[in-house]
Amino acid sequence: MTLAELLRPLLLLALAAGAALLLSVATGSVSLAPDQVLAVFGGGGSELQRTLILELRLPRTLSAFATGGLLAVAGALMQVLLRNPLADPYILGLSGGAAFAALLAMLSGLAGWAVSGSAFAGAMFATLLVFGLAHGRGSWTPARLLLTGVVMASGWGALITLVLALAPARQLPGMLYWLMGDLSQSASPGPALALLVGVCVLLMPLGRTLNVLARGPLQAAVLGVSVRPLEWLVYLVASLMTATAVTIAGTVGFVGLVVPHLLRLLLGNDQRLILPACALAGGTLLVLADTLARGVVAPEQLPVGVVTAMIGVPTFLYLLYRNR
Amino acid sequence: MSTALARITGLVLLLLPLAALAGTHLCATDALSRQLCLQAPAGRVISLSPGTTELLFSAGAGAAVVAVSAWSDYPPEAARLPRVGDSNRLDLERILALRPDLVVAWSDGNSRTQMDRLEALGIPVFWLAPRDFGDIAAAVVALGRLTGHEARAQAQAEEFLAGIAALQARYADAAPVRVFYQVWDRPLMTVNGEELISKAIALCGGRNIFASLPRLVPRVTEEAVLAADPEAIVTSGQGDSRWLDDWRRFPELTAVARNNLFLVTPSLLQRPTFRVLEGSRELCLRLEQARDSR
Repeated sequence: MTLAELLRPLLLLALAAGAALLLSVATGSVSLAPDQVLAVFGGGGSELQRTLILELRLPRTLSAFATGGLLAVAGALMQVLLRNPLADPYILGLSGGAAFAALLAMLSGLAGWAVSGSAFAGAMFATLLVFGLAHGRGSWTPARLLLTGVVMASGWGALITLVLALAPARQLPGMLYWLMGDLSQSASPGPALALLVGVCVLLMPLGRTLNVLARGPLQAAVLGVSVRPLEWLVYLVASLMTATAVTIAGTVGFVGLVVPHLLRLLLGNDQRLILPACALAGGTLLVLADTLARGVVAPEQLPVGVVTAMIGVPTFLYLLYRNR
Repeated sequence: MSTALARITGLVLLLLPLAALAGTHLCATDALSRQLCLQAPAGRVISLSPGTTELLFSAGAGAAVVAVSAWSDYPPEAARLPRVGDSNRLDLERILALRPDLVVAWSDGNSRTQMDRLEALGIPVFWLAPRDFGDIAAAVVALGRLTGHEARAQAQAEEFLAGIAALQARYADAAPVRVFYQVWDRPLMTVNGEELISKAIALCGGRNIFASLPRLVPRVTEEAVLAADPEAIVTSGQGDSRWLDDWRRFPELTAVARNNLFLVTPSLLQRPTFRVLEGSRELCLRLEQARDSR
């Protein structure tokens, strides 16, 4: 793959991402013309316009981008790691652990940072639990990791249902919105964006190795890849990314599963290209979905997870159909 | 022996038409527009939501209430009654075991399927769904009639409506105040014009900025609140000012600039019961404060 072949799709995706970001910042229950938006970025605009754009829309849009990017890259990594096309960032029960912890925090009357913090702690706890259990005493295989994770995910699912059943009725909307994925609480996108960029840079030199790993551990080992450490690194990086995404926006479904597949259908399965492309496309999809979620029934809002699926499902089915 | 029997039979025969006559007075139409008639005043009533519990006590039927749903915390004596489960997860077995002669259900909370099952088992169910001040008064009168306390219930209802009318008269010509009422913070939720809270706001001369939204409890963006720029933000919140303090991030909001961030006692406005009058009085004072800050 030449550098030009690598850069062209990324450049196109970056342009699309830029357009989506602009659209998102310009759209809302208060309609602003493009020149007004530009005026605000140039330091002008009325006080209301500045607040709307700089304090509400921009942080939310960037959070959406970071969340979508993190989920898509994490999904691509999980699919490589588990060599299973059904793998997504949540398949190993990480979102379950996060959701259970977040819902418990809400049930005990906490809010804001306490809920996000609990979600992150729950996600990391679920990661380490699966790590420890799958490691066990015997030999370690992706199949064993997958089964451990899937069973843990079912366990978390039961606990989440239990919390929902015990919660007083007035707390249910908040909990359900969290479970459906919701960006309205996201405040500071900085750390998540930094993580996204950092992971993409970190994985750049590993792209070729990941390509080999995607073909199977035996071949990878034959070709001189130290498989076990690489697999654990991929698992931990993907988990950290997912935990961060879940902390920002709750469990936004679909992005992590379908964006990597979508890009493989379009661009082929070269991890050097797919991973950065996932970061851009995942971010773009979630930004567009959030713009729709805010705009369709404004001033009311829809949960963003519903919108990602509604955009993504037909797109994916169309591409699958076309590529038969 | 036979004379005693004859005397009792005679007495029963004499009383029967009276009971039938009394029965015709114990009819009321519920929120599902169904007429419920009882042969005798209900003496074993089960209330299936905190709101219906309050209304039953207001109607003077407190002594007839044998069990209530969870969260029925007012009046205090209601809190000591046996529980039959959460409004939307009722324990039908326990309800049946208590042999009620009237069950009062809440159309927003209770399950229609569960209530239909109770009715199939021969237990009369009376549905309530008060949406405005008149509905609240009517509900109390209906409950008073079904439990044999109509006169007292009627008097209470008239007193309540007089209180509302007094507020209405007082604030009819007051300058309008744009109000945002916050129901919940995450997600941010408010009420539309159909909700009782919004009617209380209107009563005090306020204008609910989201009155025209189609859903009863819509979820809105902070952006929409900023755009509507309310003069007052009111919440009953979790009983503290945490949600209100969040708005101080936006000093350009008129409500923030004038410090019109008001906490109204949670229990007074959230249930459609007689306590709404007290809640409305509190709310009106706050909106008056907002007018004074102009």
